Amino acid sequence: MVHRREKTMFDFIGKKYYFFVLSALIIIAGITAYLINGGFNLDIQFQGGTVIEIQVNDNKTDIKKAEEFITSVINKKVTVQNSTILNTTEVGKDINLLIINIASKDTLTGEEQNKVIEVLKKELKLIDSPQMTVRNIHPSIGKELLNKGLNAVVWASILIVIYIWIRFNVMSGLSAGIMAIIALLHDVLIMFSVYTIFNIPLNESFIAAILTIIGYSMNDTIIIYDRIRENSNQLRRIPVAELVNKSVSQTLARSINTVVTVLICLITVYIYASYNNISSIKEFSLPLIVGISSGCYSSIFIAGPLWVMWKERELKRKLGKRPLKA
Amino acid sequence: MKGKNGVKSFLVIAIIIGLTFLAIYGLNIPGINYRIPSAKESRTGIDIRGGVRATLSAPVGVVPTDKEMETVRTIIEKRLDNKNIFDRTVILEKLNGRIIIEIPWKQGETDFNPQKSIDELGETTLLTFQEVDDTKLDANGKYLPTGKIIIQGLDVVDAVPELDNNTSQMDVSLKLSSEAGKKFEEATGRLIGKPIAIFMDDQLISAPVVNSQIPAGNGARITLGNRNMEESAKEAKELASTIRSGALPFKLEAREINSVSPLLGENALNVIVRAGGIALILVWIFMFIYYRLPGVFANVALLGHTVIQLVVISWLGITLTLPGIAGIILTIGMGVDANVIIFERIKEEIKNGKTLRSAIDVGFKRAFSAIFDANMTTLISAIVLYIFGTGPIQSFAITLGLGVVLSFITAITASRIMLKSVSGINIAKHHWLYGA
Repeated sequence: MVHRREKTMFDFIGKKYYFFVLSALIIIAGITAYLINGGFNLDIQFQGGTVIEIQVNDNKTDIKKAEEFITSVINKKVTVQNSTILNTTEVGKDINLLIINIASKDTLTGEEQNKVIEVLKKELKLIDSPQMTVRNIHPSIGKELLNKGLNAVVWASILIVIYIWIRFNVMSGLSAGIMAIIALLHDVLIMFSVYTIFNIPLNESFIAAILTIIGYSMNDTIIIYDRIRENSNQLRRIPVAELVNKSVSQTLARSINTVVTVLICLITVYIYASYNNISSIKEFSLPLIVGISSGCYSSIFIAGPLWVMWKERELKRKLGKRPLKA
Repeated sequence: MKGKNGVKSFLVIAIIIGLTFLAIYGLNIPGINYRIPSAKESRTGIDIRGGVRATLSAPVGVVPTDKEMETVRTIIEKRLDNKNIFDRTVILEKLNGRIIIEIPWKQGETDFNPQKSIDELGETTLLTFQEVDDTKLDANGKYLPTGKIIIQGLDVVDAVPELDNNTSQMDVSLKLSSEAGKKFEEATGRLIGKPIAIFMDDQLISAPVVNSQIPAGNGARITLGNRNMEESAKEAKELASTIRSGALPFKLEAREINSVSPLLGENALNVIVRAGGIALILVWIFMFIYYRLPGVFANVALLGHTVIQLVVISWLGITLTLPGIAGIILTIGMGVDANVIIFERIKEEIKNGKTLRSAIDVGFKRAFSAIFDANMTTLISAIVLYIFGTGPIQSFAITLGLGVVLSFITAITASRIMLKSVSGINIAKHHWLYGA
């Protein structure tokens, strides 16, 4: 019974370069996209700007005309889009929205905002008090929020690294801790890469997702190293590669199952939000889906193999030194 | 031992069922007129109930002192009171001279214009007491401002309506700062029989006539003329509050405004709640199919941690935003983590030839440190996020942190008690039930 598993054991270590290359490709694509786009695509939350979503009578508003109306009263460059969301309180009565975007440097004043709403009400013959959401952020606030967000990422990373450092010193030694941190960095890089490749705007939800991921993904890695430590006490004489392979395989079901349950939740939320066009919820669940998947991947395919490489080099160095001592 | 665990098990299940009812219906505690609110009654953020969240800030170049910021807060609160907006949140950020205001949408309010209310709140509305000229009147015969300012709104320490015993009418009694008192003494001495007008910016509020010189140190008194008691009381109250809520030391500019119409917020709430329900059911199904009997226990524990979370949130009045609810759903997925670690361990121990009972003991023991570490790192993230995040995200940080702690507790208590209680029952010993 005990040995049945080992026959079918997947060779994580032997195929490590495939996994490294896959991650590297995503990150390189991310960097390329970053260079082509000339930076990250920041949401108005981080760079300032105005977005008004206002209820209109149908989804056939003439975009060009709407833009002209708005420009005529405020003389700022705007882009307008049609959008429809399902009405969950009254079935069959969908809510049509016009989404008005104003570029970052031209945050609207309160007065201008009122003018926009008034002109749309008049020209598009809207109902008296249309449903609307307004997000209006001054560039200075956006910049500050971005800094706060980056600070949060840095602080969380530092604290978690300290925690891992303390725990791994007792558990599996410093080398494992360093590998765990590399896996963590990997996840953050993948998240940024995916966002840059698909040119999705970064906002506070994204930062929240990053923090969640660096906290949560550490779980998988910790559990795998915990198992390596346990196995190394029992099986002293087996090669490092086999030890890690065995440990990863033994914890594989656990690693995958916990991620599956989290993904079930996140994907359900994402599908619901997409179907109903609730962008704030979509923006929140997407980065978590990317991060959780990446976190699982890195702890299985990156952290373990890296540790093997480290240990084998250490061993070689020791063996190399031995003749000198003799 | 077997019986004891059985009793405990039933107790655990009973508690979880009880909490589920509590989360759904709430509870009126008889006798003391106290209600534990249901999950539906949880306090929700602006993004769900509709309303506006705005950050107001001093103009560029103005660095307000702490005292000025306190004044700003008092004035803003008063202005909100005057508008009958009581269910609001005002947060002062002294460090960067900001004030964050949250005003929820009110049931039945149709003319929803958050921008307007925020703009009005931030106005300086310079309150002045001015000398006026009988020849400078507007078309309606009202006094126009002359710019001969005697005192300003900031000089007024307090203004309250007060009953005049002689006339049995309500007056407005003013308390001035000592310096303003001197200015006022000089002016009232000079202007006996003439009016001193009170302006809010350029708008005339009132123009009481000076009856006698008012010495510094004594309070001034504004008599409102001969009207009936009720009317004078109302007028005195309004005037006093206008003078009190007087002038902001500087104009407040809205730097950030987020507003949501109630229907759109409700819509989003419905969507995310339905998604959460479906997610919970899917996780249940997955856990049952994969882990069988322990899966059932994990599912009970999962329900337990979710309803405890809901009860805690509604009871403590923690504000739930859309990200906050997303956090609850996320912890539904994460919550089974501890159980999965334990069950996988138990499965292995069974495969290694241990008896069920010792497999359960060893499984819990060996899995503990891994579960603890795993939860600690997530908790660290949640705490950092709470410190650095803004309102809606803070709500997520709370639900995430709370969910992690609660799932940890329920996994090592509830699941364990339930598993142990059946380990003695013969039919439950079949390894198939454990997926092994």
